[in-house]
Amino acid sequence: MMLFSMEFPLGREIMTTVRLTAGGLGSLAGLDIDASEDLKVCVTESLLLLLHSGCSRAKVTFEQADGMCVTLLGEGGDGFAEKTVEEEISAALLGALVEGLTMEHGEGSSRISFVFKGL
Amino acid sequence: MEERELFAQYRKSKDRELRNRIVEQYLYIASMIAKKFVGRGVEYDDLFQIASLALIKGVDRFDETKGIKFATFITPTIAGEIKNYFRDRSRLIHLPRRISELRQSVKRTADEFLSANGRNPTAAEIAKIIGVPEEDVVSAMECSVVSLDRPADEDGMSYYDLIPAPDSFDELEQRDAVGRALACLDEEERELVSFRFGQELSQTETAKRMGVSQMYISRMERKILEKLRGTLRKSVAD
Repeated sequence: MMLFSMEFPLGREIMTTVRLTAGGLGSLAGLDIDASEDLKVCVTESLLLLLHSGCSRAKVTFEQADGMCVTLLGEGGDGFAEKTVEEEISAALLGALVEGLTMEHGEGSSRISFVFKGL
Repeated sequence: MEERELFAQYRKSKDRELRNRIVEQYLYIASMIAKKFVGRGVEYDDLFQIASLALIKGVDRFDETKGIKFATFITPTIAGEIKNYFRDRSRLIHLPRRISELRQSVKRTADEFLSANGRNPTAAEIAKIIGVPEEDVVSAMECSVVSLDRPADEDGMSYYDLIPAPDSFDELEQRDAVGRALACLDEEERELVSFRFGQELSQTETAKRMGVSQMYISRMERKILEKLRGTLRKSVAD
């Protein structure tokens, strides 16, 4: 079972690096090209949601179990309460591509988790 | 006008002009989602077109009384249409169009023949029905797209591993290995290899020369290739 995590300052300049990592991990987990691309989209949209909610750091964990379980933890920010259209779209897109999507905001941190099965 | 009000008015009037206005107002959603799926071998313009069509259909299906925003409603619809498009159309590796169409035609003809006659047709029978050379039918039946990363054997070697690097020393060595592998074949098998890979004759022509059916050649060829592959693999391992 693969477990991989990374932590980084959250900014648009880091997105490509994270996307490439997500794609690579998807490939290692046996996802086909299209599914790996979808996983990249899901991770990007989640990070954008964290970024828009004001998070300044993020920790992303990928765990290969029944599908790829992804957890994104953002530090800081004020939660997902007021959504712009962009955020509405990100959340709806995530909802369409993954299973078990949860978005929570606690004290000083936001958390998004989902299971990507590549269907 | 508020989103809710706009859709309520459209649901009531079904006015085409109003629908067009709504579509134009939300076209940016189609654009945003299309952009998220670029870089997979399909142009943005094509993706935008698919997304826009999904948007038009979605406007008719949206029920503003359900309490969700249009963006939330339409996003999965657009993403679904784009994913369907990828699934159906955008393969990274394409078979040549002629072969791809012929394959479909061969498959359809074989199915129809089976249900009409209760047995599978021969390549010659399919060729006669479709009106193409028998050789083309055989090629179409045998061709497929495989990933270079796919395991080529039980040892886990991929097709990529089996592709030789262009190196003259390797070439000499391989020629030697192939020569030794060919020695393992019986006379009839060597004759087939000579016709097919030496003189590059078609399977049909080889069958004629050897006085057997084309299907026999096809089966034998597959058997020979397996035999050669096994021998070569063993010699590489040694």
